[in-house]
Amino acid sequence: MTEVEALASAKATATRLGKAKRLNALLTPTTVVRKSLLAQAKEAHPSGVLYGMPVALKDNICTLEFPTTCGSKLLEAYQSPYEATVVTKLKDAGALIAGKANLDEFAMGSSTEHSGFGRVLNPVDRTRVPGGSSGGSAALVGAGAVPAALGSETGGSVRQPAAFCGVVGIKPTYGRVSRYGLVAFGSSLDQIGVLGRSVHDAARVLSVISGRDPRDSTCENRDPLRLPTVPERLEGFVIGIPKEYFPVDLNPGVRRACDRAIRALKDLGAAVRDVSLPHTPYAIPTYYVIAPAEASSNLARFDGVRYGNRADGVTTLAELYRQTRGTGFGPEVQRRILVGTYVLSSGYYDAYYKKAQQMRALLAQDFRNVFDRGVDLIFTPTTPTTAFKAGERTKDPVSMYLADCFTAPANLTGVPAMSLPIGRVKGLPVGGQFIGQPFLEDDMIEAAYALERAIDGTEEA
Amino acid sequence: MSASAWETVIGLETHVQLGTVSKMFCGCSTTFGAPPNTNVCPVCLGLPGALPVPNERAIQLAVRAAVALNCTVHPRSVFARKNYFYPDLPKGYQISQYDQPLATAGHLSFLSPDRGVVRAGIIRVHVEEDAGKSLHDRFPRATAVDLNRAGVPLIEIVTEPDFRSPQEARAYLLTLKQVLQYVGVSECDMEKGSLRVDANVSIRKAGSTALGVKCEVKNINAFSYVEKALTVERDRQVAEVERGGTITQSTMLYNSKTNTVRLQRSKEESKDYRYFPEPDLPPLVLSPEWIAEQQGVLPELPATKRERFVSQYGLNQQDAGVLTAERAVADYYESVVHAGAEPKSAANWVMGEVLGDAKDHQEQLRVPASSLAGIIALVKGGTVSNQGAKKVFAEVAAKGGDPRTVAEALGVIQVADTGILAQWVEEVVTAHPAEAARFKGGETKLMAFFVGQVMKTSKGKADPKAAPKLLEERLAK
Amino acid sequence: MSVTPEEVRQIARLAELSVDEEHLPDLAAQMSRIVDYIAQLSQVSGGENAKPFIPGPDAIRLRADVVAPQPLEGKLSDFAPAFREGFFLVPKLGAFEGAEEDEE
Repeated sequence: MTEVEALASAKATATRLGKAKRLNALLTPTTVVRKSLLAQAKEAHPSGVLYGMPVALKDNICTLEFPTTCGSKLLEAYQSPYEATVVTKLKDAGALIAGKANLDEFAMGSSTEHSGFGRVLNPVDRTRVPGGSSGGSAALVGAGAVPAALGSETGGSVRQPAAFCGVVGIKPTYGRVSRYGLVAFGSSLDQIGVLGRSVHDAARVLSVISGRDPRDSTCENRDPLRLPTVPERLEGFVIGIPKEYFPVDLNPGVRRACDRAIRALKDLGAAVRDVSLPHTPYAIPTYYVIAPAEASSNLARFDGVRYGNRADGVTTLAELYRQTRGTGFGPEVQRRILVGTYVLSSGYYDAYYKKAQQMRALLAQDFRNVFDRGVDLIFTPTTPTTAFKAGERTKDPVSMYLADCFTAPANLTGVPAMSLPIGRVKGLPVGGQFIGQPFLEDDMIEAAYALERAIDGTEEA
Repeated sequence: MSASAWETVIGLETHVQLGTVSKMFCGCSTTFGAPPNTNVCPVCLGLPGALPVPNERAIQLAVRAAVALNCTVHPRSVFARKNYFYPDLPKGYQISQYDQPLATAGHLSFLSPDRGVVRAGIIRVHVEEDAGKSLHDRFPRATAVDLNRAGVPLIEIVTEPDFRSPQEARAYLLTLKQVLQYVGVSECDMEKGSLRVDANVSIRKAGSTALGVKCEVKNINAFSYVEKALTVERDRQVAEVERGGTITQSTMLYNSKTNTVRLQRSKEESKDYRYFPEPDLPPLVLSPEWIAEQQGVLPELPATKRERFVSQYGLNQQDAGVLTAERAVADYYESVVHAGAEPKSAANWVMGEVLGDAKDHQEQLRVPASSLAGIIALVKGGTVSNQGAKKVFAEVAAKGGDPRTVAEALGVIQVADTGILAQWVEEVVTAHPAEAARFKGGETKLMAFFVGQVMKTSKGKADPKAAPKLLEERLAK
Repeated sequence: MSVTPEEVRQIARLAELSVDEEHLPDLAAQMSRIVDYIAQLSQVSGGENAKPFIPGPDAIRLRADVVAPQPLEGKLSDFAPAFREGFFLVPKLGAFEGAEEDEE
């Protein structure tokens, strides 16, 4: 690409972002993004592998160019004085940062209905949710405004919205991508992931942002992920189908789409085998102990002392804390902080937090047992349903939590996982999920490449 | 009941800043006294998205401290979050250690003023980060927060409740400070905040073995306040119980201006810190070889050095104690002896002139060890009197130089030349015929008078050891 | 209800969140719902013997002790809600405001 082409890409992106405005997926005003994209196109490194590629960033990733709000009123105008490692890597590769994407506040949610700045609409059906918490990122890619976007995962927040919006979403192995500059929600679960309109777009961005970072002690000391080649066939791959992800009452349309995908995998030469991950039903309760617990601590820094919107008229320290946090955080965030504080408090720690960590160990053992018996990859539906209607699950928090039941196990156990479109049900996208072995993302991506080529992901199942 | 019917039981928690150049979890400088909020970065400011990366030297110094305190160092320990809200705690939690600390089960022997040598049990040594500072008097209607200190590495040293008086607690602290300074872990300067102590105080009837309810005493900001604060708290508890009241577990703040303690927090309001393992840090794993290495580089510790000074240099316990109180002084003393000075003379000079000079000059040992050895040799050889040597010392301390050359320049070289001495002797004997007669008549103790006169006449230049011989010869005539 | 309004009040105080009295019952009901849901974990046994799972590297990689601060763009006053003479400001702390230490 030449600079002229990069500038053209910048302009075209700004136009597409403007057209997608009604989705409320981008928090950065279009005029601001446009100006920035043009300036970036002039400065971008022409030899970078992503030169001229516009990438939107979930707004919990710190940038110097735009505010970082985390979808919260508390951080409405917060300008980070440093940028996340992944942003530096993207820029070094010549990518253009195409603004900040809307999200559930502090990444807490599965529908992007809990943003402080309004909900995001699903580009396929605007009465439905795009999923969450990276709903803005998924919607922008789904709407064709950008070819790729960064999101973040704690319980499935990249894969689930990818499935709902009909795009590809990859969560790397925990420790594959630096978290430095990702505003922490559940530190032992968080990973930055990539949404892309194709496996290739998502994978090449993941390749760029991955790799060691001495500023993140939980990031493994490894080279960046090498992009695998697209395989012709999948001979030699052993793919496990876990029965716990195909319950009797699984949505029939989702089941049909999965069945078709599994047939395609067989046709490509993969061996398909039934397996079991027996502790799967406990993943969500486990997640909803550990994630809120870590969040309650991670969000303690939002106290109005050093940054963020301080509540007006406070005359005591207690008022400063309680009003700033009580009015700045939305109800879902407050609920999770309260639950997290509760499960860590003395008297409850053993029964909840310690118990959840034990369950986490059992879930990890489930995956080890399957992978140790010669299975390379696991294939499942990404979500139990297609995108639900806006407002359908906001009354009962637990019903919202259940949207993550197929995605959360990978976050809890650190393994890589990805979703790609495998069909539609009544016009709504269905995602198929590969779960891979730690640090063997390339197997997963290869299988996804092959499947993507073999089936039409937009075909009604 | 009198105070002696009560036994005081004290345990101490000491926080010591480790002598690193950068902070515990980030590369910011730890220098004391910088302008507010200038040694800060995303990590120690607690900005969203920042992450901790632990300092190798801090762990090294922590392990050395633990080994010097005879602890078991655990090859695997875990950092934990201690969650609470306070303006100078940027993240809303402190990264510390909880149920899997770096080291446990140690001890430190010290000399109690009441009971001889006491071995204080050390429950644990763990690593944590410091908080910033809140200044309440800087502005009239606001508290000012400076985060320069936030993130500085600390070790926390917790003792068993093994102290039986405020004086014992102080003696332990001084020994602890000495050991940690020796090992190079920390400056242990309470005024600069590199050593802070909180105490747990309880009382019980003399002879009882059960522990009474303990109260925590905080805000003891100087060594000189340790005894006072603990005495005040002990007295408060005794008075309360003798009044018929009971002690409730509380936190008391010491006020040095009024020498009182006041209630800060009672147990009902005690904080729930919700400790859990720090998810941003993997476990701290140290190989047994690395731990052994830290043991290997430990210097000779104060108690051992003191005993060696007694046996090797023939010093008494007290002098050996003074010379080994600080490692720098002990090393200096030994350098002076190795440069040829006689140990006892060297001891006197170091304890006297050297430490006196250091006190007035920011604790600097200004005279090089070899120069002091040279000065001592000049005195020994009679070249310079003690008085003269002190002048030489002062000059070398201020401006340097070779002792002999300086002595000559100052004109304090004693004259033992018989020719010149004989002139002074002649002058003095001629000037005091009555005393000369009395001397000849048998009052030999007048020799001291004559020597004094020779010194006076020579303005101190005469060698007082050579003068008597010449005086005798002259007086015999 | 597994979580009472009084408990919610206490937890909210620990978490420094203001909660209107009138919302307490609702919040208690929501929290009870969530706590009851996660309590099903107590029915499962065997976790004590499973190999503990810690994501990420097995051990800390220690950093050399050198002064190398990460740069900050702009000034602290750019984002500080209250800043004067180099200090962050908060309302003056009272005598009992949970101070760990009284400084200066």
